[in-house]
Amino acid sequence: MGMTTKRTIGKIVYHVLVCGLGLVMIYPLVWMIMSSFKPTQTIFTTANQLIPSQFVFENYANGWKGFAKISFAVFFKNSLFISIIATIGTLISSALVAFGFSRCKFWGKKILFVAMLLSMMLPAQVLMIPQYLWYQKLGWVGSYKPLIIPYFFAIQGFFVYQITNFIDGIPRELDEAAKIDGCSYYSIFFRIILPLTTPALITSTIFSFMWRWDDFLSALLYINESAKYPVSLALKLFCDPGSSSDYGAMFAMATISIMPAVIMFICLQKYLVEGISTSGLKG
Amino acid sequence: MKKKLALFMACAMTAASLAGCGGGSGSGTSETTAAAAGGETTAAAAAGNETTAAGAEAPAGGEANLVMYWWGNQVRNERTQAALDKYCELNPGITIDGQFAEWNDYWNKLATMAAGQAIPDVLQMDYMYVDQYAKSNLLVDLKPYIDNGTLDVSDISENTIASGTVDGGVYAIAAGINAPALLYNKTLLDENGITVKDNMTMDEFYALCKEIFEKTGVKTDIAYGIANSWSEYFMRSYDIVPFGDKCMNGDEATWTPFFEMYTKGLDEGWLLPPDVFAEITVGSVEQTPMVYNSTPATQSWCEFYNSNQLAAMQNAAPEGMEIGITTWPAPDPKKSGYLKSSQFFSVGVHTKNEEEAVKVLDFLINSSDANNILLGERGVPAPADIAAEVAPQLSEIDQKVTAFINDVVTPNCSPINPPQPDGASEVYDLMNRTIEKVCYKQLDAAGAAAEFLAEANKIMAGK
Amino acid sequence: MKGKRNLTFKQFLCKESIAGVVFCSPFIIGFLMFMIVPMGISLYYSFCDYNILTPAVFSGAKNYIKMFTDDEVFWQTIGVTFYFAFVSVPLRLIFALIVAMILLKTTKATGFYRAAYYLPSIIGGSVAVAVLWKRMWATDGVINTLLSAIGIETSFAWLGNTNTAIWVLIVLAVWQFGSSMLIFLSALKQIPVSLYEAATVDGANKWHQFWKVTLPLLTPNIFFNLVMQMINGFLAFTQCFIITQGKPLNSTLFYTVYMYQQSFEFYNTGYGAALAWIMLVIIGLITLLLFATKKFWVYEGGF
Repeated sequence: MGMTTKRTIGKIVYHVLVCGLGLVMIYPLVWMIMSSFKPTQTIFTTANQLIPSQFVFENYANGWKGFAKISFAVFFKNSLFISIIATIGTLISSALVAFGFSRCKFWGKKILFVAMLLSMMLPAQVLMIPQYLWYQKLGWVGSYKPLIIPYFFAIQGFFVYQITNFIDGIPRELDEAAKIDGCSYYSIFFRIILPLTTPALITSTIFSFMWRWDDFLSALLYINESAKYPVSLALKLFCDPGSSSDYGAMFAMATISIMPAVIMFICLQKYLVEGISTSGLKG
Repeated sequence: MKKKLALFMACAMTAASLAGCGGGSGSGTSETTAAAAGGETTAAAAAGNETTAAGAEAPAGGEANLVMYWWGNQVRNERTQAALDKYCELNPGITIDGQFAEWNDYWNKLATMAAGQAIPDVLQMDYMYVDQYAKSNLLVDLKPYIDNGTLDVSDISENTIASGTVDGGVYAIAAGINAPALLYNKTLLDENGITVKDNMTMDEFYALCKEIFEKTGVKTDIAYGIANSWSEYFMRSYDIVPFGDKCMNGDEATWTPFFEMYTKGLDEGWLLPPDVFAEITVGSVEQTPMVYNSTPATQSWCEFYNSNQLAAMQNAAPEGMEIGITTWPAPDPKKSGYLKSSQFFSVGVHTKNEEEAVKVLDFLINSSDANNILLGERGVPAPADIAAEVAPQLSEIDQKVTAFINDVVTPNCSPINPPQPDGASEVYDLMNRTIEKVCYKQLDAAGAAAEFLAEANKIMAGK
Repeated sequence: MKGKRNLTFKQFLCKESIAGVVFCSPFIIGFLMFMIVPMGISLYYSFCDYNILTPAVFSGAKNYIKMFTDDEVFWQTIGVTFYFAFVSVPLRLIFALIVAMILLKTTKATGFYRAAYYLPSIIGGSVAVAVLWKRMWATDGVINTLLSAIGIETSFAWLGNTNTAIWVLIVLAVWQFGSSMLIFLSALKQIPVSLYEAATVDGANKWHQFWKVTLPLLTPNIFFNLVMQMINGFLAFTQCFIITQGKPLNSTLFYTVYMYQQSFEFYNTGYGAALAWIMLVIIGLITLLLFATKKFWVYEGGF
């Protein structure tokens, strides 16, 4: 067997395996999309059957019309606004803090690091009421402030730690060289480290956007007006355990709801691995 | 591609340096920027509301901005909002902001608002919670408004008023009437020549379960995982109200028959095994074994639900399955039967316009204007005249429900138990877990009764 | 004079210790403003009789004493949660690493594949997943059908059995390995190509390269993922909440779900807060342990 045939066979095996596993991965999504085209009463009775026996589009129309004259477009707009602004805040603040943790020695750094880890260890549900009381005191309840402003203060330790970890992996020789050239910490951060951190920032963008998009708990607590609800909260309004639920409309809107995250992922994923990091680190 | 990247980096850097300034010079700068971004719309909207309210000429009824909060589905959200809009149209100067959430979310948010002393003006209440909320001084006692005529209850029956009464005060008014109802697969029974009679005794019910199982292989679900009201209903036959003052009523001997029901079903083979319920979401109409499962071994011929859920159940049923409705069986059906309120309306104690809030409540309950929009979506309207007015406009199924309530339940019912006290939800959870243990054959009926009572008494004593 | 003062201020700002504080100031402010007060209040609640609806009443260590002496379910949930975390986290990381290695190769299709493998994480805890997952593991579901197809005829009730139900949740957690995979992907590309080149010159094959170059250089990221996923594993909520609700017989009742029930269903909110703080101590100790092992296996320093 020649080298090339062997390689071709290897390629085929690779694609078959990856595709096969990929199908398992996307099966639930396909199921959800297919369900959204089934007449809503038949979704559960035909749950074992993937392809709808008749395709209907009324779920999309029903879902999109929303609740009490508030169309789903409004919920999407709200979600986009919250998620984008909060993600920008997270990226900026987390990158700054991460650089401080990774590259500077200062008094109290260990305590800060421990505080950051500890803040991740309390379940979100237990902070619900205390946080509500606190934001009420600040007069923020009923607005988007509690959903956005905290993210400008690196409130999510996960991102700080993740970016810190990534910066730790960037060779220090680069900063040393820049320091000798007279660069301050600030210019080292902006000119040298930040560009090299792209892959970590991309992953953070993906995670943060998705998490903000899915977050319904804080939206539930802090937003009162129905017209200000984000998608995550609106999606739950299709179900009422006490009376009829419209699962068809819910699956239809859920399908549309994951699109921004999917599109963003597809656009950004190549920068993950094609980042400039390799050329920067070579040698 | 390089260009795009450069652009991205440039953006990131500008943004970062901006934030750097904010962060460096204290919280002030970035806080205001973000606040402007996030809060502007809110502030503007709020201000807008205020000015409109203040600007309008003062009508006879006064002026107020009210909030009404409820749980429900798309239809309810739509209709309730329309009814509120109607009220605002009829009463210039009043604005009502309708807010809604899903059931679980609703109670989480309402509890949180209670902690923050910010309960909405008008709210939907449930039988499960009314005692707790009333005793925590979170609901307005409507009695004075009933006495001075602001809230008209002349067409509402004593029993219905009593269900929202806590310690002599009226804290909640029924938004709709319903009754416990056994929903069953009529098609299946018809095919096999089996008929169901109303007001079955337990023995008749057992015989029926057995007959259906032997003829068709289809089993029975006895309120598995949702035995809350079922236990109350059952114990009423023995003249026992489960919850006493910081304790449980009844002893092991009186509670044993309740658990025996399950052991009997298991022994005779007609009870659905517990693992069936692990594969569904208990409490969701669409996933009840009756309509969701398709093999006899995992199907049930009936479900213990409420009358106002008939439409939902019929909707969820597969094509060709007609759902019938009858009363829950009981050792003594006459004693057990009751009418209940599907849900209530209450006025929150933190309202600044108590009187206006009560007027909205009166409108929702008593006016034809509102009820011709709401159309009994929350159950049969409580005032008899409104119920009669709405009846002809109802769907065929809802008319069947109304007939069921009027002709079957009403002649055979007594006042409902007082609302359950704090601790009830924990006791109910314990009860459902005890039934689970019985069904997994870890306990026999007497053992279950003993364990349940011991634990439940401990819970209630701690409240 | 003025110029000089500016210079000193600039110099002051450029001192390493000051620069560090400046960079970290968003977090310092954020922590003080948004975290410390709510955390303090919840710690206070854990020493109170509190039912949300009426003001909290201080009750000393009552909640903690009850937890350790008079609450069977507490111990049950501890057992379930440890089992879940210690099984699902390693499996998830191994799976994430393997898939990241496979998808590192850039072919025309990898972009698509990456998206496909990340999708489960995007749809996360949605109702669709809850419904479908239960359907798949049902007695007449896809899993049993597949088993029958390969000759194992069965109608086993995976979700109804106290031993297997937890595995349904573990598989779900492993299936959603996307976020760890992304972190591995971005870290894999951080490894300089020169190191692989050097290894090839030394005659190492792919297998050796993986063990001698890739894995050691990935250890900081493995460590990061391990710490984060351990915290997530112990705080896992959604899987149990949307799928099993603890059934059967509490064999899948996660600690956080129990805490949630106590706080918001039974209105024993003070007790719920106490549960949360015990969880913090447990996770804290485990994280501490992990950090203590760090120096034995995590590669420190640049490349």
